[in-house]
Amino acid sequence: MELNRRGFMRLSGAALAASSVGALGFGSSGEALASAVRPYKLARTTETRNTCTYCAVACGILIYSLGDGAKNSKATITHIEGDPDHPVNRGTLCPKGAALLDVVHSPTRVKYPMYRAAGESGFKRVSWDFALDRVAKLMKEDRDKNFIAKNAAGTTVNRWTTTGMLAASASSNETAFVTWKVARSFGMVVFDNQARV
Amino acid sequence: MSGEFGDLPTGVIAQPDPVILPRADRLFATRASRLRHLSEGHPMADWLRFMAGLADAQHDAVAAVVAPAVAILPHTPPLDGPAHPRDPSWRRALARILVEPADPALPDQTRQVMAALRDRDPEPLAAAWLAGVVPATEAGPAMFVAAALQVYFAAVAATLPVGDIALLAQRGLCPVCGSAPVAGVITGAGKAPGTRYLHCGLCATAWNHVRVACIGCGESKSLTLQEIEGGNGAVMAETCDACMGYAKMLYQAKDMQVDPMADDLASLGLDILVGEAGWSRLAANPLVLAG
Repeated sequence: MELNRRGFMRLSGAALAASSVGALGFGSSGEALASAVRPYKLARTTETRNTCTYCAVACGILIYSLGDGAKNSKATITHIEGDPDHPVNRGTLCPKGAALLDVVHSPTRVKYPMYRAAGESGFKRVSWDFALDRVAKLMKEDRDKNFIAKNAAGTTVNRWTTTGMLAASASSNETAFVTWKVARSFGMVVFDNQARV
Repeated sequence: MSGEFGDLPTGVIAQPDPVILPRADRLFATRASRLRHLSEGHPMADWLRFMAGLADAQHDAVAAVVAPAVAILPHTPPLDGPAHPRDPSWRRALARILVEPADPALPDQTRQVMAALRDRDPEPLAAAWLAGVVPATEAGPAMFVAAALQVYFAAVAATLPVGDIALLAQRGLCPVCGSAPVAGVITGAGKAPGTRYLHCGLCATAWNHVRVACIGCGESKSLTLQEIEGGNGAVMAETCDACMGYAKMLYQAKDMQVDPMADDLASLGLDILVGEAGWSRLAANPLVLAG
């Protein structure tokens, strides 16, 4: 048998006895260690790299979650902090970003489309199809009513200033490009997304 | 840097230094006191106290090393373990380490190994150890040779111009000597808190390595931090399901006193549990070579 300082290795009570620990006469220490850890199990934490959801600065974050990763178990997010390796924020976060964990666990967090019809007292859950149709309808009504094709001097301006859009913070170049084209093709000028930064 | 942003501090969020060279004057003394602290109530207390004594001897041996002039070439670790022409002064460091401690509890086997190594030429064993592989029968003497080589490489690394040392394309290996790290430290203070530094098992150089990426295969999708249940989160095994390897990560935010070598030696129980669960350690601790 050979001992390797560079390659993979696995440590066990027996391997400790055959290692320098055993060779120098401390084998009983190794046995004591092996029996001391016997009753214990391993606890698992996961660090996941992600992007803050809030603004177009797109700070990097690390999300810590507990759980054994088994298919039917749900991981619990325990901590969120700035990603020290991220060139944008180097581990720092603004107060909103620093409070992300509270958003994750907030009982009032919106997880699906909600709708309050005129005259009703509360919101009720609706489907995405319903929500998107409703948004499209209201956008069209507003645009038909307020679209400005020409300014006072008669110059063509094609602008729509009465509806605005705030788009994603963690999008790729391609997503930002498409978002920009969609919003601008409506004539929308009140608009912010990642492509601005 | 003030003015443009009013009274907001600017320039305080620093980029991490790529390489931090060891402080040979305090490296081993700090390790010795950490080992003594960790030995209290530990199942391997006898062995950890012996290792603390070894670190004391390593501290004394630093003065014996004469650092040779070292050329720094691009894309090559300047002290590349097997290739570096060792200054013969490393054997004076070994001689200092092999002075038998006046400890009545020292096992006879240790005394015999030390005595036998005093009477032989250590160069072939040093060359074999640096090349990576020694026969299992040499497990005892190899540890003392490794300890002397740690002293030599740390003392020489400490003399290098840090600005001239570039990280290797293989980020998991030491940019100074090409060895594997003994552990990683997630900093909790200093210039760039929260960044990860890997600590070389041979020359004790620390180098920056991005977090949430396996230091063996670079994969980031299937990493998990595992510790013995009930632990304080200071010593974690970062396991990778892509290469089935793992390395230990020490979190200064949980314990500012962590020492890569000492805390690794004191947490071999974690290695046993993680090994039984199916992961293999990416590289051994140089002082605990096992099969």
